[in-house]
Amino acid sequence: MNEDRKGSRNINAALTAASCALLGTAAPPPAKAEELPRWSLDSALLYYAEDNDRVQDVSATIAAIRDFGDERSLALTLSADTLTGASPSGAIASNRPQTFTTPSGNATYTTAAGEVPLDDTFLDTRYALTVNWSQPLGRAYKASAGVSFSTEYDYTHLGANLGLSRDFNKRNTTLSFGVAYSQDDIEPVGGVPIPLSEMLDVGLQGNKLGTDSKDVLDLLLGVTQVLNRTTVLRVNYSFSRSSGYLNDPYKILSVVDPLSGDTLVRTPVGDGPDGIYRYESRPDSRTKHSVFAEMKHAFGAPVLHASYRFMTDDWSIESHTLEARLRWPLGAASYIEPRVRFYTQTEADFYRSSLTVIEPLPEFASADFRLGRFDASTVGFKFGQQTATGNEWNVRLEYYQQTGEIPRAQNIGAQSTREQYPDLSAVILQFGYRFGF
Amino acid sequence: MNRFACVCFGALLLGGCAQLGVEPWERDVLARAEMSLDAHPVEAALDDHIYFSKEATSGGRGFGGGGCGCN
Repeated sequence: MNEDRKGSRNINAALTAASCALLGTAAPPPAKAEELPRWSLDSALLYYAEDNDRVQDVSATIAAIRDFGDERSLALTLSADTLTGASPSGAIASNRPQTFTTPSGNATYTTAAGEVPLDDTFLDTRYALTVNWSQPLGRAYKASAGVSFSTEYDYTHLGANLGLSRDFNKRNTTLSFGVAYSQDDIEPVGGVPIPLSEMLDVGLQGNKLGTDSKDVLDLLLGVTQVLNRTTVLRVNYSFSRSSGYLNDPYKILSVVDPLSGDTLVRTPVGDGPDGIYRYESRPDSRTKHSVFAEMKHAFGAPVLHASYRFMTDDWSIESHTLEARLRWPLGAASYIEPRVRFYTQTEADFYRSSLTVIEPLPEFASADFRLGRFDASTVGFKFGQQTATGNEWNVRLEYYQQTGEIPRAQNIGAQSTREQYPDLSAVILQFGYRFGF
Repeated sequence: MNRFACVCFGALLLGGCAQLGVEPWERDVLARAEMSLDAHPVEAALDDHIYFSKEATSGGRGFGGGGCGCN
């Protein structure tokens, strides 16, 4: 092994250990005891852009791992991202222009007739920091502990996690357990709206309360198994329980005529909404179970990475995610990796495209497309190259597309003649560089 | 009874797993960096962040997504 290759493997070993700490999973046994560089860094610049002037996000991330020898390491990850653009508000398209009060309650915006209303007032910058320590515990165990923090204009996250893993069967089997707890504070622009309250005129804040919070408990049980000389498999079971404020404070529902399906008209006093809209209402707890399986198999030099995830929750959402990547070497130092991902989910039991004026208000209702029924696919590729010094740079380009539909039974009157569930397309472009010293 | 069943299942699983795997000197392919299941942690975290904000599912591989007001 020449010095360059050795350097690169050392970086990768350290990154692997750190990634396990970050992801709360068990570290695979090291291939070989080697003297590691003190620091390994993995950096990425990501550009995410949706079509039709919807969300755009630019983010920069750097993960730094300090190796202290004897499988002890400290991992720090810092990221910053800036988000701009428009997002569907939850209101449906109408046969006339629609005017809404902005979340701040200080202004209005108007959507043209026949178009799905987008709230274009989104602008946020987020900073996130994670710190993780991992080390062996006795002869057979490996432990990790970490904290995470993130802040943005209307949201603050504070979390902690612990992980423990043990190797069996000549290190061919690894059992791992992880637990994470987080406490998040939500301080929406203009305040937290009272669920199902009506959107009010500009300057009126009677339906907004101050701030709210939620906490999330995650448990993870995993088995990693070497199947043979060229195949490794991992299966995880995850449990996640969120409690507290789980609404999106900016999402609304249109209140419609039960026959025509058109949004009911109101006359604002001064500036304000010219239709009746209500803020969404989700349950204050959600329990999710998921099973995730992934496998890596080497066909000689090329490596196939395939994964599948099933998720079910007590909001009646079920989802399936299938992903495959084939890393194909190009010469000694480069590779290209075509990749595909398919995702499908069912709608939450309280998903409603609109509310009718004659029905009693339901306890829970949301028109957020992300709780609706849709399919999504991602296709793209990644290209990476190792430099003469053993570092690696890479670039990936992917195209993401969502196609959804409103359940037919929810279509009222003329609603089905208008666009209801706008398709979403996005480009994901990422540059990465990893190096050590 | 349930606990007993769990212990039996665990023992069977581990016993079954003992039949799989390789000897330490057969780890040449598995030791390649690209064979690590966590070869690209930063990219995995970015993906979790993107899909967390666009879909109703997150995590699975680890404690993915979360800590964001985007959902």
